[in-house]
Amino acid sequence: MIALAVYGAAGAVFAVPFALRGAGAIDPAARGGTWGFRVLTVPGVVALWPLMLVKWVRAGARERS
Amino acid sequence: MGTRPGRIRGGRPGDPAVSHVYQAVGWSPQKRKYDLLIALCMVVYLGAFTAITLATQPFVTVETLILRATGSLGFVMLSFILLIGPLARLSPRFLPVLYNRRHLGVATFLVALVHGAFATLQFHALGEVNPLASVLSSDGSFTGGGAFPFQPLGAIVLVVLFLMAATSHDFWLSNLTPQVWKGLHMTVYGAYAALLGHVALGALQGEGKEYLWPVTGGVAMTVFGLHLYTGITERRRDRAGAARTGGLDAVREREAAASAKTVPAGYVRTAIHAAAIPDGEGRVAPLGGERVAVFRNGTEISCISNVCRHQMGPLGEGRIIDGCVTCPWHGFQYDPVTGCAPPPFDDRIETYDVAIHDGLVWVNPVANPLGTASRTAQSPVSGAAAPPPGETS
Repeated sequence: MIALAVYGAAGAVFAVPFALRGAGAIDPAARGGTWGFRVLTVPGVVALWPLMLVKWVRAGARERS
Repeated sequence: MGTRPGRIRGGRPGDPAVSHVYQAVGWSPQKRKYDLLIALCMVVYLGAFTAITLATQPFVTVETLILRATGSLGFVMLSFILLIGPLARLSPRFLPVLYNRRHLGVATFLVALVHGAFATLQFHALGEVNPLASVLSSDGSFTGGGAFPFQPLGAIVLVVLFLMAATSHDFWLSNLTPQVWKGLHMTVYGAYAALLGHVALGALQGEGKEYLWPVTGGVAMTVFGLHLYTGITERRRDRAGAARTGGLDAVREREAAASAKTVPAGYVRTAIHAAAIPDGEGRVAPLGGERVAVFRNGTEISCISNVCRHQMGPLGEGRIIDGCVTCPWHGFQYDPVTGCAPPPFDDRIETYDVAIHDGLVWVNPVANPLGTASRTAQSPVSGAAAPPPGETS
C-alpha cells in the first residue's frame, strides 16, 4: 500500500510538468493542445509515468543531437 | 475510451474540421447525440431499478440501493460494450454504436467507480485497517477459509477500466503505439471474466438472489456466444473466398504460368471480380493469413492493408471519400495508391500491387515499402453506361 501511494504521488507530481511541456515534447500534435486535453492526460500519466518519463528524456536527447 | 481528439480526419457528416492539434473532445452533432443517449439510458435504468427495488424491498437502505443499482448497471454496460464489436462485424447497422464506443467505456468506468467507492466507504472505511488493504484482504483467501475473495476481483475490474479510460485519448494511442494500446485495451476481456467472478461469487451468494444466476449466466453466454459465432462466420467467409479460387497458394503455382502474359509472376488470384466492386467501395480478400482491401476509385483498382493504423478498424468496409479510403470506425483516411494519410498526418499502411486477369483481381502478396506508390490496374466502372432503372435510353 505504501509503495502504491508513493508511486501515485510521484506520478501526480510528474503529471503537472508533463501536461504543460512533456506531452508536447514527445508528440508534436500535443504542442498546441487545449487545456481540456492536458487535463485529460493527467490520470494516464499518473498511472504510466515511468514510461512517459523515459519517452520525454529520449525526446529531449533527440532534440539536442 | 471516452475522449475524442481533434486529430480525427473528416469523412463523417458533422465531424469537426480536420485538425492536427489535440483537444479534449472533438465534438460533433453525432457525438452529442451518442452521449445524450448514453446518459438517458443510464438515468432510465437507474430510475427503473430504484423503482422496482423500492416496490419489492421497501426497507432497503440507500447505500445498498446505490451499490446494487450501480453494480448491475456497470455489468450491463460492460456486457453491451463487448457485444458491440461482434455485432458491428456482423452488420454495418451497428457501426454508429461502435464509432463512439470509447465514451461508453469511460461512462462504464465512472459507474464502476461510484460502485467501488460506495462499497469501500460502506464496508471498509470505519475499521482500523487501511480501507484499500481491507478490500483486498477481508474476504478470506483464494486458498480457502472464509468467503471466496470476490472483492479483489471487483478491484481488478476497476483498475482495468481505469487504465482503459485514462488512456482512451488518441494521444495515448499514438504514443503507446497502436499495438501496445490495443493490447492494453484487450485486457477488458480479462476484466470481464473477473467481473463475472465478482458478481457470481459475491452478489449471487446472498439468499433469495438465485434468480440472478440464469440472468448473469445468460448475459455472459450471449457475449461469449456472439464472439464465437462472429469468429466462425468470418473464418468461413475467408475460407469460402479462398475456396472459390481453389486455394490461393495452389492457384498461384498452377495459374501463374498460364497468366504470365498479363499477370506478373508471384501474384495471387483473389475471388474478387473487378467489375463487381462499386465505385468508391472496397472488397476484402484473405492473403497469407492477413486480409487486404481491394478498392475501386473510378476506373483504378488498388489494394491496401485491411487494417487501419488507428484502432485496427476494417478499412475494406469503408468508402473512398475525397479520394481517400476512409475507415468506417473513426474516419481515418489513406490514399488508396500510396497508403499514406493525407497531410498533415503521417500514418502509412501497406499497399500491394494488383493486376486484373479474366476479370479477377490478382494481388502481389509482397507488400510495397511503406509510402511508395503501388501498381494499380484499370477496370471500367461496371454499368457506367447503363441507364437508371425506369428510364429508357
